[in-house]
Amino acid sequence: MSSLQALQQKMLQAVLSEITPTLSELRGDERADAATRMDIYRHGYRVRLREALAVEYPGLALMAGRSFATLLENYLEAHPSGHYNIRWHGAGLAAFLDYGLPWRDKPAMADMARLDWAISTVFDAPDEPVLGMADMAAIPPTAWPTLVLEPQQHVQIFSTPHNVEVFRRAADQELMRPRLRRYGKTRHLLIWRHELTVRYRTMDDDELAVLTQAVAGKTFAELCECLGDAQDEGAAMTRLAQLLHDWVASGLLRGYRLD
Amino acid sequence: MNKDTATRQLPYLGFGLGLRVEHYETLLENPGPVEWLEVISENYMIPGGRPLAWLEKFRERFPLVMHGVSMSIGSTDPLDQDYLKRLAALARRIEPKWVSDHLCWTGVQGVNLHDLMPLPYTEEALTHVVDRVRRVQDALGRRILLENVSSYITYADSQLSEWEFLAAIAERADCLILLDINNIYVSAHNHGFSPLAYLDGIPAARVQQFHLAGHEHGEQLIIDTHDAPIVQSVWDLYVEAVRRYGHVSTMIERDDHIPPLEELLVELNHARELALPLLREAA
Repeated sequence: MSSLQALQQKMLQAVLSEITPTLSELRGDERADAATRMDIYRHGYRVRLREALAVEYPGLALMAGRSFATLLENYLEAHPSGHYNIRWHGAGLAAFLDYGLPWRDKPAMADMARLDWAISTVFDAPDEPVLGMADMAAIPPTAWPTLVLEPQQHVQIFSTPHNVEVFRRAADQELMRPRLRRYGKTRHLLIWRHELTVRYRTMDDDELAVLTQAVAGKTFAELCECLGDAQDEGAAMTRLAQLLHDWVASGLLRGYRLD
Repeated sequence: MNKDTATRQLPYLGFGLGLRVEHYETLLENPGPVEWLEVISENYMIPGGRPLAWLEKFRERFPLVMHGVSMSIGSTDPLDQDYLKRLAALARRIEPKWVSDHLCWTGVQGVNLHDLMPLPYTEEALTHVVDRVRRVQDALGRRILLENVSSYITYADSQLSEWEFLAAIAERADCLILLDINNIYVSAHNHGFSPLAYLDGIPAARVQQFHLAGHEHGEQLIIDTHDAPIVQSVWDLYVEAVRRYGHVSTMIERDDHIPPLEELLVELNHARELALPLLREAA
């Protein structure tokens, strides 16, 4: 190991250290001793990461309230940053809240983190084309049974019994902290980008079923069957037409192909 | 790097600003006297979405330069090839007038400190950085600019002054220099050296860009915050820099507590008022 490598590794440990270290490799002077100087870097590391995480997790900040600072400290201690982009340090926060104590006893926190992070990653996901109403109208009627709809590749879906989307909306609109609710039934959240604008909303069980099939590359006929299991054929077609209209209107589809 | 790239002359851009989200709309509607923009590379090294859409609009209106914070040119970890590929891809996309980063290391052992950690000013560090600058310049197909960082620590093993170290890297690696005037002032105070000796020690032909910024006085040391107006002592040092180096593209770099654009334009005009008479006189 070169002396430069050894020095940098020692400096790294000093910055990550919880207590002010004494390093013989550093020199102080009459303005400030070496420990005081080193503390500027130790302090700066924590402040920068805390600020970056707060930007990525506004919903979680609102939900956690005063315990948000402790939560971030715990996370920083357990997970030093490994990515050149400071924002990506947040990638592991939901998993940390899933497993770390005391946070795992409050599962709404991990779900909240999951929504915040989904919004963050969808924000700058690759640009994709958006299928419009005119594109749909141009599809010949005979092609529909074998048509495969292509949802935007950045679409994210997850299920939670908690009203996490209400917290995120309140954080974005700088509203008061809402009341945390746990529903008896699991709810499904859809996060996507309509051209440049990130959107999120809840969806019903049947929409989740159809969208999951569409993401898996199933044909339009198979999507109909998926709805038909629970409803009569006419009602299924009506519901599918409604979903399709909503998806196109909200930019959820990037295109289609004929299977 | 091929011969043509090595000898390419970079343009003088005049007086510019660091592009910040808070000014996106105002800058496009009424750019005022802003002649060019510096963008933070990492903010746009992303797959898609709104930031890149904005960047395309600015690219149509302004000459752009790319300024990175994460190259970690001084780290003893291997160069991050994924980072360099993404940086090169962004450069191909927006065709900046130049690409810059900092003379520092930002992490080691796969951990990123997200800080501009100073290097020891030793022959070993010099050799290490020169080799890496050459490899980065080969990867990007262009000369890069390295910026002096503000620092608070002094390594006991340092054998050179900071400016000797920076000058030697620029000469040996054949790269250019981005001089942050505020950073010189901050480090001069914190380490007790003469900022004018610093300016005198930098080879004028290598200086391609100036940064101007503000700072904060701590109890014992000056903290480089880049979040406040430029103080008189930094303006004075800027005048000395213009006297020594002549036409060097100058910009105001505000990283936090971003004020309304008008406030920065006042500072930019002040820089122009200080520099232009000196440049005319020299001509």
